[in-house]
Amino acid sequence: MSLAAEFRDKRVVITGGTRGLGKAMALSFARNGARVAVTYASDEASAARTEAQLQAIAEECMLIRADVSVRSDVDAMIGNVLRQWEHIDILVNNAGIIRDKLLVFLGEDDWDRVLDVNLKGTYLCSRSVVRLMIGRKFGRIINVTSPSALTGRACQTNYSASKGGIISFTKSLARELARFGVTVNAVCPGVITTSMTEHLDDKTKEEFLKLIPMGRFGEPEDVAEAVLFLASQRARYITGQILVVDGGLT
Amino acid sequence: MKDIVNNERTLHEFLKKMIVETLKLEDISAGDIDSDTPLFREGLGLDSLDALELVVAIEKHFNVIIEDENVGKQAFESIRTLATFIQAEYRQGA
Repeated sequence: MSLAAEFRDKRVVITGGTRGLGKAMALSFARNGARVAVTYASDEASAARTEAQLQAIAEECMLIRADVSVRSDVDAMIGNVLRQWEHIDILVNNAGIIRDKLLVFLGEDDWDRVLDVNLKGTYLCSRSVVRLMIGRKFGRIINVTSPSALTGRACQTNYSASKGGIISFTKSLARELARFGVTVNAVCPGVITTSMTEHLDDKTKEEFLKLIPMGRFGEPEDVAEAVLFLASQRARYITGQILVVDGGLT
Repeated sequence: MKDIVNNERTLHEFLKKMIVETLKLEDISAGDIDSDTPLFREGLGLDSLDALELVVAIEKHFNVIIEDENVGKQAFESIRTLATFIQAEYRQGA
């Protein structure tokens, strides 16, 4: 079965879906026949650009402003999608932020905000769709973690803790939902060329490149391919796994 | 569904059948379940994932949402407590 046929009529929600990785995922799902709803936190300009691109190729699309760390926002967002599309087949918990600092300088707000968006957001969005997915005996939840969670990284205690939490969350939720036909997996993108990595200085970029056996940074599309695979019928017997997409970095 | 909920005996029978069918219990039929048999532990021996499946089944059949774990624990003591819980939810909703 081609991907286009596979995702036809599938309803996908991608959090943080108007920039970088999330945008690449949204466009890939749309290109392959899915209805795609993406959330964004605040960047209206990116949202407008992504909306225009999605409208050009998607069966149907929705853009919803929501803070994934706030339950009322998440409930309203999911409710909005369900009112229009009745159910959700695939949830990609992609929304994530960084606030890199040495621990000695890491304020409580830096800790809370990163944990809230990355980890609590994953919890809230997953919680809001699992009952539906269990009821329909089908669902795909795909989370996004990071090599920072696997190997650690200086200045990222908050970020790596949140992403490590996502790995554990993924494995535990997979066990809760396996018997209901709902799979829960994560992708672990390495260094990908997005706005989150643009801020790296040349020296850091060079250091990373030396560590990546493939000798290049990943493209958002490299990660989107992995997400589409995990969402596809071909991955039906895979759950609780972390698919690392990092050119061999870890 | 309101007729079923209002009649205690019918509701008990419905719930027993729902449990057997939802959980695909192989060695137990609806007729084998006593209304006061504990559903978990030493009773029917259901586990927490069975509970999750029942929470969703009750939502689907009765449109009653169990949000709180303690509420669920009390409701799932037995068929009788589950029936009482659903009837109370219906009365509140009415």
